[in-house]
Amino acid sequence: MTIDIAALRIGLARVAAAMERDFEELNAADGALGDGDLGVTLTRGMRAIMAQADDLPEDLGRALLACAQAFTKASGSSYGTLMATGLMAIAKELKGETTLDPARIPDLVAKARDQMQARGKADLGGKTVLDSLDAVATATAGKTDASALADAAATAAETVLETFRDKRATVGRARIFGDKSVGMDDPGMLAMARIVRALAARDA
Amino acid sequence: MKKILNAPEAYVDEMLSGLIAAHPEYYRLHGESGKVVARATPGKAGKVGIVTGGGSGHLPVFTGYVGTGLLDACAIGDVFASPSAEQMADAIRAADQGAGVLRLYGNYGGDVMNFDMAGDLVEFDDIACTTVLLTDDVASAPPAEAEKRRGVAGMVYAFKIAGAAAEEGRDLDAVTAVAQKAADACRSIGVALSSCTVPQAGKPTFDIADDEIEMGMGIHGEPGVWRGKLRTADQIAGEMIDRLLADMPLGQGDRVSILVNSLGATPPEELYILYNVVKARLEGEGATIVMPLVGRYATSMEMAGVSFTLIKLDDELESLLKAPCDCAFWRVG
Repeated sequence: MTIDIAALRIGLARVAAAMERDFEELNAADGALGDGDLGVTLTRGMRAIMAQADDLPEDLGRALLACAQAFTKASGSSYGTLMATGLMAIAKELKGETTLDPARIPDLVAKARDQMQARGKADLGGKTVLDSLDAVATATAGKTDASALADAAATAAETVLETFRDKRATVGRARIFGDKSVGMDDPGMLAMARIVRALAARDA
Repeated sequence: MKKILNAPEAYVDEMLSGLIAAHPEYYRLHGESGKVVARATPGKAGKVGIVTGGGSGHLPVFTGYVGTGLLDACAIGDVFASPSAEQMADAIRAADQGAGVLRLYGNYGGDVMNFDMAGDLVEFDDIACTTVLLTDDVASAPPAEAEKRRGVAGMVYAFKIAGAAAEEGRDLDAVTAVAQKAADACRSIGVALSSCTVPQAGKPTFDIADDEIEMGMGIHGEPGVWRGKLRTADQIAGEMIDRLLADMPLGQGDRVSILVNSLGATPPEELYILYNVVKARLEGEGATIVMPLVGRYATSMEMAGVSFTLIKLDDELESLLKAPCDCAFWRVG
């Protein structure tokens, strides 16, 4: 099985639906440690992507670049910009290609993680979305079967959320809250768990 | 929430539309986002462009300082929220007169990320960009981690000095170098007496008792150095000057400018009460004060409180500070 623009559209629609569903939950999680608008950021971004989903080009790189630009137009929030940065990193790798072998996904996730890390100037282990992507990249590395990849990615994003729950946030706005962040899910990691689960079609 | 507005979500758009309606000789909207303000009359061809950007809620920062001898364009976000990378890219395009663009703004994570992303976006337009970040708030990190400090009212001096250098016709590297020199010469500290309300949040950003102040608080309510009972003007000014001098000692013959700035609700009367101690202390160190600024230059809406920004000048910085500039909020020469 390979991924083409039709499959990408289906995946984007699943993420968009998940973000609408989780809108209040993500706002509330963000409100506990930040300014409470993460649900707004993600629904705005995904709505902007869906508004042009039918017009996305066959070239997967160009299609993802258009998604990244839609995200940057929809929101100035750091999380929105990080998402756009990750999408652009993957878009560069896929420029000129109309199909994608799922076996390349672990490497693409790692590329997104690296670019987002450079842009966010943050280290791994700080209890951020970077830790989620790192867990997904590590758990899926070497896997080639689409179904096994989806299982590993969804499980990793969920497990890393639990692993970090009792750690202290050391970067980003949540850092200001110090010990108060212990025992709370990082909102960005929570959102990524939901995104990965939707992309992997592993929604409960 | 007790604020004069029509709808929280229209706060920024209506503020910008009124600003431009009142001062069409200075400002115009650029592009389609409705959140990029440029000079009504663009700078001359071949002039280095200077852009800034950040959240709304700080007038005259950021938008107000678009003008001759100051900024060329500005991307403005929702209240206390970063503009998007697209808007910043639009501001860079509006500022470009063919000689490159300096991005000059405060060190906040969201703004840095978005301006970096905006730089990627305008690479396709062959616009050369440089960056200088303001990191003047001494309360936000110790000297050993000075690069992590937030940017506050020091940007007023940086806009003025970099803007004058660009107006003189210096090239991008020279404008960037002098902007960095100005940023490095600035130190600021603030004290908050009351909070402010972000319209879309509807409730105060932080709670503070009627008889309390917070020394070192950031312009978005970021935690400061200590919170305690209100003190006299002389005690408050004395501690703020102590903290600035501890970070940037002055000596005999130094020339400085000082900005005594209201965070919004504090009236000019109280700024002038503070100025007595400010002047006595700085002159007591042997320094000469040049062109002191007293008033509302960088605010947090209705927050009560003040900030001091001290800049140590050399001949170059002093002459650029005194050069002409003109915008709706500030005219020199």
